[in-house]
Amino acid sequence: MGFSKLTETKVLLKQYFKDIISIEEGGEQRLIIDLQSKDITSMINHLKDFMDFKHLSMISCVDWPEENKFEIVYILTSYSKNIVLMLKTKIDRKNPKLQSIMSLWPQAVTYEIELNEMFGVFFEGNDRMGEEFILEDWDDIPPMRRDFDSLEYANKNFKFRDERKDKKIIREFISEHYDEWRKK
Amino acid sequence: MDDLKRPTLDSDFTCDMAFNKITKWAQKNSLWLLAYGTGCGAIELSPTMTSRYDWSRLGIRGSATPRQADLLLITGYLSTKTLKRVIRSYEQMQDPKYVIGFGSCTINGGMYYDSYNTIKQLDLYIPVDVYINGCMPRPEAVLSGLAYLKDKIGDKKADGWIKYKQNFEWYRENQKKILKSFNGDNMPDKYNW
Repeated sequence: MGFSKLTETKVLLKQYFKDIISIEEGGEQRLIIDLQSKDITSMINHLKDFMDFKHLSMISCVDWPEENKFEIVYILTSYSKNIVLMLKTKIDRKNPKLQSIMSLWPQAVTYEIELNEMFGVFFEGNDRMGEEFILEDWDDIPPMRRDFDSLEYANKNFKFRDERKDKKIIREFISEHYDEWRKK
Repeated sequence: MDDLKRPTLDSDFTCDMAFNKITKWAQKNSLWLLAYGTGCGAIELSPTMTSRYDWSRLGIRGSATPRQADLLLITGYLSTKTLKRVIRSYEQMQDPKYVIGFGSCTINGGMYYDSYNTIKQLDLYIPVDVYINGCMPRPEAVLSGLAYLKDKIGDKKADGWIKYKQNFEWYRENQKKILKSFNGDNMPDKYNW
């Protein structure tokens, strides 16, 4: 009688890393692991080298201004075990810093530049940090933070077209005449 | 020979006018379009160009570089990053050149009215000859817009490129409000053709 691969991974990870905050199953063949930010690099290193999680699906970020935290989310996949693994860690929102994982996966650089631009998270060890990725000439706070007001920014920077001079509401006009036009 | 009837020429019908007529006829029946889609609207161009709606009937085809193109379609939303490239492509196109604003986003922002990185009015930055309304406009609407542009060229009313040169500083000022680093090697300050 053997354990399933999911349970096996869960037990092994619990043995190796005593400081894990929580580890739970998030559905079929999915694990959600919550851990402290200081453990994240060693955890990913271990997962890639010894537990066959070779594929980095993505790195993402969630903003929690109420708790004053950013939550960085890594999603790794193992093809041999057929498990999708979600690693979450919370870092301080005022001084968001984390170790880069570009030495493990070169493609992580792109995700990290994007997070730097959209949330202002700084990844130590990434030599392309601070590069312009999507936004050019940006001079406001990073736009994906929840305290950034997009409509206010648009009103300040862009000019909207004036109203119609005859004040006609074109949608009502069309819906009134639609049946007439159809009969033609 | 004397029996043959010759067409009588009007007194003000000059060689210049005849040449003008021929060039207008040629220009409006051979619109080459820059194959450059800025937003989601480019998806409506594939049914328009292929066999069902077939825009080759109107003498329209794609061209690979801005130097060969007559027509620039701004298909849908235009982000500020793309605006830089659009201005550059537009200025490289040869005269005469025409612009079509395609979809609601180019008219007043459309569903991206509160977005921080899309422009809200296209005609502040480059001159627009024809707007096609809709989100997205169907191929019928696109063809109708293109036919309207052809009529406009025939009537010599599609003069956006002349307006751009005459009001060049006004356009540049508007562009600089959005593109803050608008000089240097990346973006020449002068008209760049």
